Amino acid sequence: MAEDNAPMQQSHGPSSGGMRSSGPGGGPGGPGGGRPGGPAKRGKRNFVRKKKVCRFCVDKADFIDYKKAEILAPFIQERGKILPRRMTGTCSRHQRWLTVAIKRAQNIALLPFAAEL
Amino acid sequence: MEERQYDLIFICRPDTPEADIDKVIATLESTATEKGSKIESVAKWGRKRMAYRVQKLHEGYFVYMVIKTTHGEVVKELERRLKVADPVIKYLTVRLDEELKRQEKLKRHRERRAARRPRKVATAPAAPVAPIAPPTEQSAPTA
Repeated sequence: MAEDNAPMQQSHGPSSGGMRSSGPGGGPGGPGGGRPGGPAKRGKRNFVRKKKVCRFCVDKADFIDYKKAEILAPFIQERGKILPRRMTGTCSRHQRWLTVAIKRAQNIALLPFAAEL
Repeated sequence: MEERQYDLIFICRPDTPEADIDKVIATLESTATEKGSKIESVAKWGRKRMAYRVQKLHEGYFVYMVIKTTHGEVVKELERRLKVADPVIKYLTVRLDEELKRQEKLKRHRERRAARRPRKVATAPAAPVAPIAPPTEQSAPTA
Protein backbone atom coordinates (compact mmCIF):
# COMPACT_ATOMS: atom_id res chain seq x y z
CA MET A 1 0.00 0.00 0.00
CA ALA A 2 2.78 2.40 0.89
CA GLU A 3 4.63 1.57 -2.30
CA ASP A 4 1.52 2.02 -4.35
CA ASN A 5 1.06 5.51 -3.07
CA ALA A 6 4.38 6.82 -4.34
CA PRO A 7 4.02 5.96 -8.04
CA MET A 8 0.36 6.97 -7.97
CA GLN A 9 1.24 10.40 -6.70
CA GLN A 10 3.79 10.87 -9.40
CA SER A 11 1.39 10.13 -12.17
CA HIS A 12 -1.56 12.03 -10.78
CA GLY A 13 0.38 15.11 -9.72
CA PRO A 14 1.68 16.29 -13.07
CA SER A 15 -1.35 15.11 -14.96
CA SER A 16 -3.87 17.08 -12.98
CA GLY A 17 -1.53 20.00 -12.40
CA GLY A 18 -0.42 19.93 -16.00
CA MET A 19 -3.96 20.10 -17.32
CA ARG A 20 -4.68 23.13 -15.22
CA SER A 21 -1.53 25.15 -15.77
CA SER A 22 -0.92 24.41 -19.44
CA GLY A 23 -4.43 25.04 -20.61
CA PRO A 24 -4.06 25.85 -24.29
CA GLY A 25 -0.99 23.65 -24.60
CA GLY A 26 -2.53 20.58 -23.16
CA GLY A 27 0.54 18.79 -24.35
CA PRO A 28 1.03 16.14 -21.74
CA GLY A 29 -2.64 15.41 -21.52
CA GLY A 30 -3.37 15.75 -25.20
CA PRO A 31 -3.99 13.18 -27.92
CA GLY A 32 -1.66 10.27 -28.09
CA GLY A 33 -1.20 10.61 -24.34
CA GLY A 34 0.22 7.53 -22.81
CA ARG A 35 -1.04 8.84 -19.52
CA PRO A 36 -1.94 5.97 -17.26
CA GLY A 37 -5.31 7.52 -16.50
CA GLY A 38 -6.40 7.52 -20.13
CA PRO A 39 -6.45 4.02 -21.55
CA ALA A 40 -7.35 2.54 -18.20
CA LYS A 41 -10.76 4.20 -18.13
CA ARG A 42 -13.53 2.67 -20.12
CA GLY A 43 -16.55 4.07 -21.83
CA LYS A 44 -15.97 7.75 -21.11
CA ARG A 45 -14.36 10.59 -23.00
CA ASN A 46 -10.82 10.65 -21.69
CA PHE A 47 -9.57 14.09 -22.58
CA VAL A 48 -11.43 17.33 -22.47
CA ARG A 49 -11.55 19.18 -25.75
CA LYS A 50 -9.31 22.20 -25.89
CA LYS A 51 -10.66 25.63 -25.09
CA LYS A 52 -13.87 24.31 -23.62
CA VAL A 53 -15.62 27.18 -21.92
CA CYS A 54 -17.58 27.12 -18.72
CA ARG A 55 -21.24 27.05 -19.60
CA PHE A 56 -22.16 29.09 -16.58
CA CYS A 57 -19.59 31.76 -17.20
CA VAL A 58 -20.97 32.22 -20.67
CA ASP A 59 -24.47 32.65 -19.24
CA LYS A 60 -23.05 34.79 -16.44
CA ALA A 61 -24.94 32.70 -13.93
CA ASP A 62 -25.00 34.08 -10.42
CA PHE A 63 -26.80 31.14 -8.96
CA ILE A 64 -27.07 27.54 -9.93
CA ASP A 65 -30.56 26.50 -8.93
CA TYR A 66 -30.76 23.05 -7.38
CA LYS A 67 -34.42 22.90 -8.34
CA LYS A 68 -33.70 22.83 -12.05
CA ALA A 69 -32.72 19.25 -12.68
CA GLU A 70 -32.53 19.79 -16.43
CA ILE A 71 -29.62 22.18 -16.00
CA LEU A 72 -27.83 19.87 -13.61
CA ALA A 73 -28.42 16.58 -15.38
CA PRO A 74 -25.65 16.95 -18.01
CA PHE A 75 -23.11 17.21 -15.24
CA ILE A 76 -23.61 13.82 -13.69
CA GLN A 77 -22.65 10.47 -15.12
CA GLU A 78 -25.14 7.75 -15.85
CA ARG A 79 -23.99 6.15 -12.64
CA GLY A 80 -24.98 9.26 -10.73
CA LYS A 81 -21.43 10.48 -10.03
CA ILE A 82 -20.60 14.13 -10.54
CA LEU A 83 -18.42 14.75 -13.57
CA PRO A 84 -15.03 16.33 -12.97
CA ARG A 85 -14.17 19.77 -14.28
CA ARG A 86 -11.84 18.32 -16.87
CA MET A 87 -14.76 16.66 -18.57
CA THR A 88 -17.26 19.46 -18.47
CA GLY A 89 -14.98 22.45 -18.81
CA THR A 90 -16.58 24.25 -15.90
CA CYS A 91 -14.60 26.86 -14.01
CA SER A 92 -13.68 26.17 -10.41
CA ARG A 93 -16.15 28.61 -8.89
CA HIS A 94 -19.09 27.23 -10.80
CA GLN A 95 -17.99 23.69 -10.19
CA ARG A 96 -18.21 24.32 -6.48
CA TRP A 97 -21.68 25.81 -6.78
CA LEU A 98 -22.66 23.04 -9.11
CA THR A 99 -21.62 20.39 -6.63
CA VAL A 100 -23.68 21.98 -3.90
CA ALA A 101 -26.68 22.22 -6.19
CA ILE A 102 -26.34 18.64 -7.39
CA LYS A 103 -26.11 17.31 -3.87
CA ARG A 104 -29.20 19.25 -2.85
CA ALA A 105 -31.10 17.99 -5.86
CA GLN A 106 -30.05 14.46 -5.06
CA ASN A 107 -31.36 14.85 -1.55
CA ILE A 108 -34.78 15.91 -2.74
CA ALA A 109 -35.02 13.11 -5.32
CA LEU A 110 -34.70 15.38 -8.33
CA LEU A 111 -31.46 13.72 -9.33
CA PRO A 112 -30.36 10.17 -8.63
CA PHE A 113 -27.64 9.23 -6.20
CA ALA A 114 -26.77 6.11 -8.11
CA ALA A 115 -28.24 4.71 -11.26
CA GLU A 116 -30.67 1.88 -11.11
CA LEU A 117 -29.74 -1.23 -13.04
CA MET B 1 -32.34 41.03 13.20
CA GLU B 2 -32.26 40.60 9.51
CA GLU B 3 -34.76 38.56 7.65
CA ARG B 4 -33.85 35.08 6.56
CA GLN B 5 -35.27 33.32 3.60
CA TYR B 6 -35.76 29.59 3.31
CA ASP B 7 -36.79 27.29 0.52
CA LEU B 8 -38.86 24.41 1.71
CA ILE B 9 -39.68 21.49 -0.54
CA PHE B 10 -41.62 18.50 0.60
CA ILE B 11 -42.91 15.45 -1.20
CA CYS B 12 -46.15 13.69 -0.41
CA ARG B 13 -47.29 10.29 -1.46
CA PRO B 14 -48.74 10.49 -4.96
CA ASP B 15 -52.05 9.00 -3.94
CA THR B 16 -52.87 11.57 -1.29
CA PRO B 17 -56.01 13.55 -2.02
CA GLU B 18 -55.71 17.28 -2.64
CA ALA B 19 -57.50 18.01 0.60
CA ASP B 20 -54.84 16.30 2.66
CA ILE B 21 -52.09 18.15 0.90
CA ASP B 22 -53.86 21.41 1.53
CA LYS B 23 -54.22 20.41 5.13
CA VAL B 24 -50.47 19.93 5.43
CA ILE B 25 -49.86 23.29 3.83
CA ALA B 26 -52.34 24.92 6.15
CA THR B 27 -50.66 23.36 9.17
CA LEU B 28 -47.32 24.66 8.05
CA GLU B 29 -48.75 28.09 7.42
CA SER B 30 -50.35 28.31 10.83
CA THR B 31 -47.18 27.10 12.54
CA ALA B 32 -45.19 29.68 10.68
CA THR B 33 -47.48 32.58 11.47
CA GLU B 34 -47.56 31.55 15.10
CA LYS B 35 -43.82 31.95 15.26
CA GLY B 36 -43.86 35.22 13.44
CA SER B 37 -42.79 34.11 10.00
CA LYS B 38 -44.26 34.68 6.63
CA ILE B 39 -44.98 32.17 3.94
CA GLU B 40 -44.01 34.04 0.86
CA SER B 41 -45.26 31.66 -1.78
CA VAL B 42 -46.51 28.15 -2.23
CA ALA B 43 -46.16 26.29 -5.49
CA LYS B 44 -47.47 22.84 -6.06
CA TRP B 45 -45.38 21.11 -8.64
CA GLY B 46 -47.76 18.22 -8.65
CA ARG B 47 -46.90 14.66 -9.38
CA LYS B 48 -43.39 14.06 -10.58
CA ARG B 49 -41.26 11.07 -11.07
CA MET B 50 -38.60 10.81 -8.41
CA ALA B 51 -35.02 9.93 -9.23
CA TYR B 52 -34.99 7.04 -6.82
CA ARG B 53 -37.43 5.02 -4.78
CA VAL B 54 -38.56 6.58 -1.55
CA GLN B 55 -40.53 4.27 0.70
CA LYS B 56 -40.90 1.99 -2.30
CA LEU B 57 -42.67 4.70 -4.32
CA HIS B 58 -41.55 6.00 -7.71
CA GLU B 59 -43.62 9.15 -7.91
CA GLY B 60 -44.41 11.89 -5.47
CA TYR B 61 -46.44 15.02 -5.13
CA PHE B 62 -44.00 17.92 -4.85
CA VAL B 63 -44.79 21.14 -3.01
CA TYR B 64 -42.45 24.11 -2.90
CA MET B 65 -42.66 27.00 -0.45
CA VAL B 66 -40.68 30.10 0.25
CA ILE B 67 -40.57 31.23 3.87
CA LYS B 68 -39.33 34.49 5.23
CA THR B 69 -38.63 34.89 8.90
CA THR B 70 -36.50 36.60 11.45
CA HIS B 71 -36.54 33.64 13.81
CA GLY B 72 -34.58 30.67 12.64
CA GLU B 73 -36.17 28.25 15.07
CA VAL B 74 -39.36 28.14 13.11
CA VAL B 75 -37.65 25.94 10.55
CA LYS B 76 -36.97 23.30 13.14
CA GLU B 77 -40.60 23.32 14.13
CA LEU B 78 -41.79 23.06 10.55
CA GLU B 79 -39.48 20.17 9.90
CA ARG B 80 -40.77 18.44 12.99
CA ARG B 81 -44.31 18.78 11.71
CA LEU B 82 -43.30 17.43 8.36
CA LYS B 83 -41.59 14.46 9.86
CA VAL B 84 -44.72 13.61 11.79
CA ALA B 85 -47.19 14.18 8.97
CA ASP B 86 -48.28 10.94 7.38
CA PRO B 87 -48.49 11.80 3.69
CA VAL B 88 -45.07 13.52 3.66
CA ILE B 89 -42.27 11.20 2.64
CA LYS B 90 -39.39 13.62 2.10
CA TYR B 91 -38.57 17.22 2.84
CA LEU B 92 -35.68 19.61 2.41
CA THR B 93 -35.10 23.10 3.79
CA VAL B 94 -32.50 25.34 2.28
CA ARG B 95 -31.40 28.64 3.72
CA LEU B 96 -31.13 31.17 0.96
CA ASP B 97 -30.60 34.66 2.30
CA GLU B 98 -26.80 34.58 2.24
CA GLU B 99 -26.97 33.11 -1.23
CA LEU B 100 -29.26 35.88 -2.41
CA LYS B 101 -27.04 38.52 -0.86
CA ARG B 102 -24.09 37.12 -2.74
CA GLN B 103 -26.08 37.10 -5.95
CA GLU B 104 -27.00 40.72 -5.46
CA LYS B 105 -23.41 41.65 -4.83
CA LEU B 106 -22.21 39.87 -7.94
CA LYS B 107 -24.89 41.48 -10.02
CA ARG B 108 -24.02 44.91 -8.71
CA HIS B 109 -20.33 44.34 -9.41
CA ARG B 110 -21.09 43.25 -12.90
CA GLU B 111 -23.38 46.19 -13.60
CA ARG B 112 -20.86 48.62 -12.20
CA ARG B 113 -18.12 47.16 -14.36
CA ALA B 114 -20.29 47.24 -17.44
CA ALA B 115 -21.23 50.85 -16.76
CA ARG B 116 -17.59 51.80 -16.43
CA ARG B 117 -16.46 50.44 -19.75
CA PRO B 118 -18.65 52.27 -22.28
CA ARG B 119 -17.95 55.52 -20.45
CA LYS B 120 -14.22 55.20 -21.05
CA VAL B 121 -14.84 54.77 -24.74
CA ALA B 122 -17.53 57.39 -25.22
CA THR B 123 -16.78 60.42 -23.08
CA ALA B 124 -14.29 62.05 -20.76
CA PRO B 125 -13.73 60.24 -17.50
CA ALA B 126 -16.72 60.38 -15.26
CA ALA B 127 -17.34 59.03 -11.78
CA PRO B 128 -16.76 55.30 -11.84
CA VAL B 129 -19.57 54.50 -9.44
CA ALA B 130 -22.76 55.70 -11.03
CA PRO B 131 -26.06 54.16 -12.10
CA ILE B 132 -26.46 52.79 -15.59
CA ALA B 133 -28.79 55.54 -16.82
CA PRO B 134 -26.10 58.23 -17.45
CA PRO B 135 -24.23 56.29 -20.19
CA THR B 136 -27.23 56.49 -22.47
CA GLU B 137 -27.52 60.21 -21.91
CA GLN B 138 -23.82 60.89 -22.38
CA SER B 139 -23.26 58.80 -25.45
CA ALA B 140 -26.09 60.48 -27.36
CA PRO B 141 -24.44 63.95 -27.64
CA THR B 142 -21.14 62.42 -28.78
CA ALA B 143 -22.91 60.37 -31.43
